[in-house]
Amino acid sequence: MQKLNRKKASGNMLRYVLLVIGGFVSILPMIYMISTSLKPNGALYEFPPRFFPSLNELTGENYVYIFKQEKFYLNFLNSVLVSILTVLIAAFVAAALAFCLARFEFIGKKLLFGLVIGTMIIPGTTLIITQYQLASRFHITNKLLGLVPFYVAWVIPFSTFMIKSYIEGIPRDFDEAVYADGGSVFTVFFRVILPLASPAIASVSIFNFLTAWEEFPWALTVLNDAEKLTLPIAISGFFGQHQFTQWGYVFAMSVASLIPVLLIFICCQKYFVSGLQAGGLKG
Amino acid sequence: MKLKSRQSRLQVGLLLLPGLAFFALFTIYPILKLFYMSFLNWDMGSMLRQTFAGVENYKAVLSDGTFRIAFTNTLLYTVVTVPGQMILGLLAAVLINEIPHFRVGFRVIYYIPVITSWVIVSLVFRYIFNTEGMLNYLLTNVLGWTGQYIHWLDSRWGGLFVAMMLGIWKGVGWNLVVFLAALQSVPKELYESAEMDGCGSVQKFFYITLPSINPTILFALVMLTIGGFNVFTSVKMITGGKPMHQTETVLTWMYYKAFTTGEFGYAAALSFIVAVTLILLAVLQFKAMKQKDEAR
Amino acid sequence: MKKSTIKKTLALFLTGAMTLAAFTACGEKAPDVSSTPQKSKKEEITTINFWHHYSAQSAENETLTKVLIPKFEEENPGYKVNAVSHEWADLHDKIMISASSDTLPDVARLDIAWVPEFQKMDILVPLNKEMSDYDATAKDLLPSAMSTASIKGDQYALALNTNTKILFYNEEALKEVNLEVPKTMDELFAAAKALSGKNKNGQQVWGLNEPALSSWNVLPYIWSNGGTITNEDYTKAQGFVNSKETVAAVQKLVDLYKNGELGGFNSGDIPMTDGFGTGRYMMLLEGPWKTAELAGAYPDFKYGTAGVPVGSAGGISVLGGEDIAMFKSANKEGAWKFIQFMTSDYAQKEMAKCGQIPVNTKTLESKEVKESAFAPFLEAITTAKTRPPVASWAKIDNELTTAMTDMIINSADVQKTLDQLATKIDTLLAE
Repeated sequence: MQKLNRKKASGNMLRYVLLVIGGFVSILPMIYMISTSLKPNGALYEFPPRFFPSLNELTGENYVYIFKQEKFYLNFLNSVLVSILTVLIAAFVAAALAFCLARFEFIGKKLLFGLVIGTMIIPGTTLIITQYQLASRFHITNKLLGLVPFYVAWVIPFSTFMIKSYIEGIPRDFDEAVYADGGSVFTVFFRVILPLASPAIASVSIFNFLTAWEEFPWALTVLNDAEKLTLPIAISGFFGQHQFTQWGYVFAMSVASLIPVLLIFICCQKYFVSGLQAGGLKG
Repeated sequence: MKLKSRQSRLQVGLLLLPGLAFFALFTIYPILKLFYMSFLNWDMGSMLRQTFAGVENYKAVLSDGTFRIAFTNTLLYTVVTVPGQMILGLLAAVLINEIPHFRVGFRVIYYIPVITSWVIVSLVFRYIFNTEGMLNYLLTNVLGWTGQYIHWLDSRWGGLFVAMMLGIWKGVGWNLVVFLAALQSVPKELYESAEMDGCGSVQKFFYITLPSINPTILFALVMLTIGGFNVFTSVKMITGGKPMHQTETVLTWMYYKAFTTGEFGYAAALSFIVAVTLILLAVLQFKAMKQKDEAR
Repeated sequence: MKKSTIKKTLALFLTGAMTLAAFTACGEKAPDVSSTPQKSKKEEITTINFWHHYSAQSAENETLTKVLIPKFEEENPGYKVNAVSHEWADLHDKIMISASSDTLPDVARLDIAWVPEFQKMDILVPLNKEMSDYDATAKDLLPSAMSTASIKGDQYALALNTNTKILFYNEEALKEVNLEVPKTMDELFAAAKALSGKNKNGQQVWGLNEPALSSWNVLPYIWSNGGTITNEDYTKAQGFVNSKETVAAVQKLVDLYKNGELGGFNSGDIPMTDGFGTGRYMMLLEGPWKTAELAGAYPDFKYGTAGVPVGSAGGISVLGGEDIAMFKSANKEGAWKFIQFMTSDYAQKEMAKCGQIPVNTKTLESKEVKESAFAPFLEAITTAKTRPPVASWAKIDNELTTAMTDMIINSADVQKTLDQLATKIDTLLAE
């Protein structure tokens, strides 16, 4: 018995070692980014290159520069606003669509589901030309809120697919009980399905938040004014002006923009896994 | 369920409406318009003269050497990064699933690359792989493994290699979480009975774990293949298609053709070829996995 | 257990919704979040959208947004200028994108090389035809600079600023190898050879730098050696881009790269300013903006400037610069006012202070300009040549860059590659 335990312990030891190595590789580039953001811009091409800044060159000047820029806060708020709106609208729209697909028969249902799957497969960027023309027809180019409908449209297929699989795992007895009590379709949706499917909705919402938060090609194409940019576009703007990249600023801004997402994820990661686990993937 | 009363039909209709509206307007309409556009001569230089071009645009795409390079690059990127992420993600998931402590901690750490924007991680990788960057210094000056600095970003294969490394590095965490969820829903009894039969860890993995999570593998495979073809931001930020458009992917090349040279018809046709390829690939993957399932 | 999960999720959504409400409340106060800069009837304020490619962190941008625009708005009540900075290459793409859907700005600062392309797209306003006081404004501007926007007799933009490249060199490095400042191309190449090698840290040092291999980068070497891209009418490349002189000039660049004496155009290389400031690139041909950039990033670095070294055909630099153009969808009255303001003596003088070479003849004659840091550039401009002003230039330049990369980096045969390039350019010229 003791022998077995020892074997188990050594096996675990090996697992921990492997996981620590992997974890190290996962965050090494991020650590390098943070350490670089603490170096003065002039020291970026020093020799020998140092992973960590030496104590006497350690500086917060890049952060001071970033935080002094009014634009940074605007860009930050823009990203937050767009991401939250996308998440809320997509959660409702996709849940409603998923509920109907999971529970009812109606004309064109198969076609609709086929289109949902089909559009999940087509890369969003391929539609950029015609979506841009559409946006300009609605006069929502170069408008922050103009990003939202397109982000929602992009995340709907995947969200619907995931939530639908989850709803299918919820016993119909719950619905029937409500109908028996004289409840309507709305009652079932708002009182039964939405609360019960909330783990799946929460997990796709985290996914949708990330999608909107880091979206690049569309925002790059549509937005112009500096105060309307989202963070990824603002960060890329710091890069490569006149063949002259101020890496310190780039990385300081990156770190500052990473922290809130990290916090959100650490707080919500439970829902992320539970949503995937509880049947979202079995469809 | 069949809908009986008029009221419930109305309510279902109301629930469907926002989804249908978004879908029809922002996705289906642009797809149809793009399809139409792919048959037009529509260049920025001659905005007003949009003439019917038949399949000329498709011919132009298929006979374009750079498109073939971009397509091959994208395919290679997908073929390398998809299994790469899946294997490493599954390995990490299996390891985390079996340890008693720090599961959440590891999960969070592995997930950090996933939640970091592509723009940021691409810039970080570009900085690391610079010819004068940390990696070359490490390989040449510290370890002495390479005689001179490697020009990672300056050739087709070097640039692709960096993009692939980034793709795998960033994707492992997602796979880990997906596979971990699947592993935790594999019934414990299966493992217990296997242990009684004297199966080791490796046997358990191949005879119980893998077959049980087959649907998840298919799911990940399809999602990641789509993701692989979607590669855009990393390549745009790391090499920008340079040198000589050798590191373009289908989407960066599409973007270039549409918005730098203004060949909209060409770009539309290209988009359609990519979409059709992806749908075919997804169908193939579904079929292959189904067959494997049935053969068992 | 399950109930608490649901509660927490709800709480999560509620927090989300509340944050959102907070933001929308802010949004009402800050109208720029969602409003288009269009005429708002209440205050009768017209917004003029102006796109440019002054880098967001540059002194030029500072002057534009903190000095010029406030002054313009003060002089022209009822107008507001919304200046948008794009990266150089992005600006071209952004205009292409916007042109496809009628979302162009009112006014833009365009690289002179783009004007024919956009004119062909029929999005620029012929100013001489539509502006009644055109002549009074145009007469103050340098004719040679104005010619960059003159197409088939009509003027599609006004000249805004001009520039060219001259030689920048690392003073100390030249002293160390006991060389004079290169005056001829041969001396330049010899100096590049002498300055290349390894520094005391064992890092590679390049005698000569070019940050890219487009026409802007290679043309001074080709022209100074008597080569060219096309004939003088810009109708034919065969026999010009593959002439003996062009081939020889390109071959020289190929050899320099092979010997490690020319570098900087690979994606992984040190950026130009950093490389020059840290002594990794010893000499380069660059424009007037480099002065301000170096002062900002490497204030202690000692460098000198001189004219483009003379080759068999002279020391011919490439003429750069920007025009200021009005798009057809613009608010023409306001746009024209702004264009007139930007080309006025006042605005040109302010911009000259941060290194932009004026085109207003009054400004050029002023004492400040004659004594400014860019005096050496003024001389180079008189002999500099312009890139072919043809509508397909962007495509030609792309083909040229590809060919140059193939020859210099991949050592493709120079004569053969340029022969093929000539055929390609001829097709594009015929379009």
